[in-house]
Amino acid sequence: MGPARRSPPTAGAAGEEAAAVARRRQGMLLASPGALYLLIFFVVPLGLITVYSFATRTSTGRTALSGWNVESYRAIGDDIIVGIIGRSAWLATLTTVLCVVVGYPFAYYIATRPRHVRAVLLVLVMIPFWTNALVRVFAIRFLLGSNGPASALSESLGFGTFRILFTPTAVTIGMVYSFLTFMVLPLYVALERMDWSLTEAARDLYASGAKAFWKVTLPLTRSGIVAGCVLVFVPSFGSYVVPDILGGAKTLLIGSYIARQFRDARNWPLGAALSVLLIVAMLVAVALNQRSGSGAEDGGRPRGRRRGPGRGVAEPATAEAS
Amino acid sequence: MTEAVAAVEIEGVTKRFGEVVAVDDIDLAIGDGEFFALLGPSGCGKTTTLRMIAGLDLPTEGRLRIFGEEVGMAPPDRRPVNTVFQAYALFPHMTVRQNIEFGLRMRGIKGPELGRRVAEATGMVRLAGMEERRPDQLSGGQQQRVALARALVNQPKVLLLDEPLGALDLKLRQEMQQELKALQREVGITFVFVTHDQEEALAMSERIGVMSEGRLLQVGTPREIYDRPASRFVADFIGRTNILEASVESAGTVRLDSGALIDAEASTPEGSRVAVSLRPERVRLQPRGTAAAEGASLDGEVRDITYLGHAVVYEVAAGPVSVEVRVEGEVGEPFAAGDEVTVAWDRGAAAVVAD
Amino acid sequence: MSGVVEVGLGRRTRRGLAVWAWVVFAFLYVPIFVLVVFSFNASSRVNIWGGFSFQWYGEALRNDVITSAIRVSLIVALVSTVVSMVLGTAVALALDRYRFRGRRALDGTVYLPIVIPDITMAVMLLVFFAEAFKFIDSFGPRLTLGISTVALSHIAFNISFVCVVVRARLDQFDRTLEEAARDLYATGWQTFRRVTLPLIMPGVAAGGLLALTLSLDDVVISAFVSGPGSTTLPVYVFSSIRRGVTPELNAISTLMLAASIALVLGSLALQRRRASASQQTQVL
Repeated sequence: MGPARRSPPTAGAAGEEAAAVARRRQGMLLASPGALYLLIFFVVPLGLITVYSFATRTSTGRTALSGWNVESYRAIGDDIIVGIIGRSAWLATLTTVLCVVVGYPFAYYIATRPRHVRAVLLVLVMIPFWTNALVRVFAIRFLLGSNGPASALSESLGFGTFRILFTPTAVTIGMVYSFLTFMVLPLYVALERMDWSLTEAARDLYASGAKAFWKVTLPLTRSGIVAGCVLVFVPSFGSYVVPDILGGAKTLLIGSYIARQFRDARNWPLGAALSVLLIVAMLVAVALNQRSGSGAEDGGRPRGRRRGPGRGVAEPATAEAS
Repeated sequence: MTEAVAAVEIEGVTKRFGEVVAVDDIDLAIGDGEFFALLGPSGCGKTTTLRMIAGLDLPTEGRLRIFGEEVGMAPPDRRPVNTVFQAYALFPHMTVRQNIEFGLRMRGIKGPELGRRVAEATGMVRLAGMEERRPDQLSGGQQQRVALARALVNQPKVLLLDEPLGALDLKLRQEMQQELKALQREVGITFVFVTHDQEEALAMSERIGVMSEGRLLQVGTPREIYDRPASRFVADFIGRTNILEASVESAGTVRLDSGALIDAEASTPEGSRVAVSLRPERVRLQPRGTAAAEGASLDGEVRDITYLGHAVVYEVAAGPVSVEVRVEGEVGEPFAAGDEVTVAWDRGAAAVVAD
Repeated sequence: MSGVVEVGLGRRTRRGLAVWAWVVFAFLYVPIFVLVVFSFNASSRVNIWGGFSFQWYGEALRNDVITSAIRVSLIVALVSTVVSMVLGTAVALALDRYRFRGRRALDGTVYLPIVIPDITMAVMLLVFFAEAFKFIDSFGPRLTLGISTVALSHIAFNISFVCVVVRARLDQFDRTLEEAARDLYATGWQTFRRVTLPLIMPGVAAGGLLALTLSLDDVVISAFVSGPGSTTLPVYVFSSIRRGVTPELNAISTLMLAASIALVLGSLALQRRRASASQQTQVL
């Protein structure tokens, strides 16, 4: 996509400037359809939900865009809502921790297999990763149902039926099941890139196997752990489908609570305020991840790309590579 | 180079990237049919100079002519030059043939003409039979030939080569040096190549331009550059040398800071500060007291000896300075560490370099 | 690191790791496997195996609501994939190659739809459509939520995913190839057409496959922005599960599962062409 340079044949800053202006225009033209789409269907909705969070709910359940107030934000302080947020945070944390504990040895095993075995195992991880999430939650629902196969099996073995569905345990199992691969993949990437001679060096320097792991392997794969934690925590905190299918009334989480405000409860301003809160929380989590990830091996992937005309103006350091 | 029309003529060219001056007011004329090397450490501006000739970067100031035609701001597709890129930049999604055809097709050449020229180019770089392979199925040397053929098939007036041998291993590199020289003689066009390898520049080119920090320090034949460096940087960058601080005593003598007075031609006025460049292989080592009548000498003591197989390098402490002496083709080691020696050289072996 | 890495793990630890890995694989696959097996159950009771049968597939596919939902899902997925492939690739190219006013803002915004939870995206779009309809209705037409609002919403998040995947590809793009093309007399457009596009095509295709998968997967956003008659298949399944488990649901789920697996294998085959395993996961 080179700029059409038809400037006069004398070299000079003016010609260079004209080429830069032409390139800027070309870039803007290329970006504008997508940018416009995002503006209308993402930025404006984002603004609207923020506006709604300061609106008034009328007695009929409609939303009046007047009488701006912070009632909805104040309502977040109610015991019920604080309880819901706390429960969501707790379940999301529990899910994240379980995913690390389950996923780390799993990823370690895969990453240390010979190359051809590793490729096959990775495909086996990718399949659930890409598989329809709803179907996977349904599979858990089906398996754990009080008249489902698991229960039937336990009954036939003489342990009696079990009632696990609609409990926080079921929700946790469902979330770990849903998001485990989100943890395994970044862990795998970090472990696969691991320079094992470093562990060997640690062993050579009198570290035991366990010490070498804690002092060398684990710190070097930290960026993978952090990335995985964010990838698991963020969707579990805002999860709506999993608790809705596997949880009961006692496991009302913030995602379902927001949905409820826009449906049966018809309190859009409160739902909007909770959404804003959720978005801010997610952005903070992601920003924290990016900060801790930079400098580490995969977070700090160099952004400077190969040199090319036009970018040199803004990136002098990479421009000259004689 | 001014009598005929120069192949490439660069006049007062400067290239700035924001605040950084990559190329600083360069004047250079490269003759028709010349094999010219731009030599310098990384970051010296040599690649940027080459890219400006190619049209991949535009000069901020100055004029650039190719065979008399102003091309300063012309896009690369309108210049009679082609480039062999550093890592070859072969299109990975195309076969060897498609790579080589690319430039011709872009200019609308097809049919028998296309086939004839591609066959000619593949023959020239000895790639016949490999046309249907993809770049990733070729060795480094073969990729290099494809890159050459892809450029030469367009019959450019000037061929630009950016570190053409940098990606090859030593043995292959030496082979390709000879081959490139032969190829240049065969096609008879101007080759301008960029390298940071001074041996490569000396071995291959008819003339060398030495660059540092955006400036063109010296242009000359390999012999001129090696024997008569114009500056301390050039003396130090090309080959190994001993740099001795000195000042001009008279037109024919220079006094080293260590006190010794030596015979050497200096072009700067009396009393000016200079440096004396003494190539390690141009000096002799003698037992103390047997100094030659002709030339100059320094007394010292052997400090260290390094055996290199084909040569022996002596480090001689001559007062406060240390001088490296390289002795080749000698059987045994006539001197040992601690020996009192005299470092002697012929008049003309020492080059006086302005500060 | 291609060989088996033995780095100082004891034999017991190594065996423990292997056992653990296969337990985790079982955890990932057993529920799906059971679901699939029971979709072929001849009995209508979900916990008793009554012999092999395709009965529930037949019933599911004779159900007009389900076939209509399948049709809606496919239309939405195709439309949103094509549109977001074009727009997302253009944005990725612009962000990678050009500097222009608003570039930074766009660079930040384009990642947001990926980061924020589905439920917030869903209610944002619901509020947006409600307000937009109120505004447009004041000029006469009566608009309602339907298949077009679902498609519009899917494009809104898919642009971002396509953009991220294509940019990952552009990140590794060797710009000297474009310079080489221009040196060989190609114009800007020819360079794009003959060199840039073919080389980023695997990235564009991978982005498209991701968009297709995400569109076919989406429940939450579709549930909020679809109207009567524009229910997508996941939305139908979701609301059915809440009412109770039926063998018909197993059959539909198995079909959806088959579709996802076909897409995974397709995308893996695409990426296999050149990317290493670590790049694959990075893209996600």
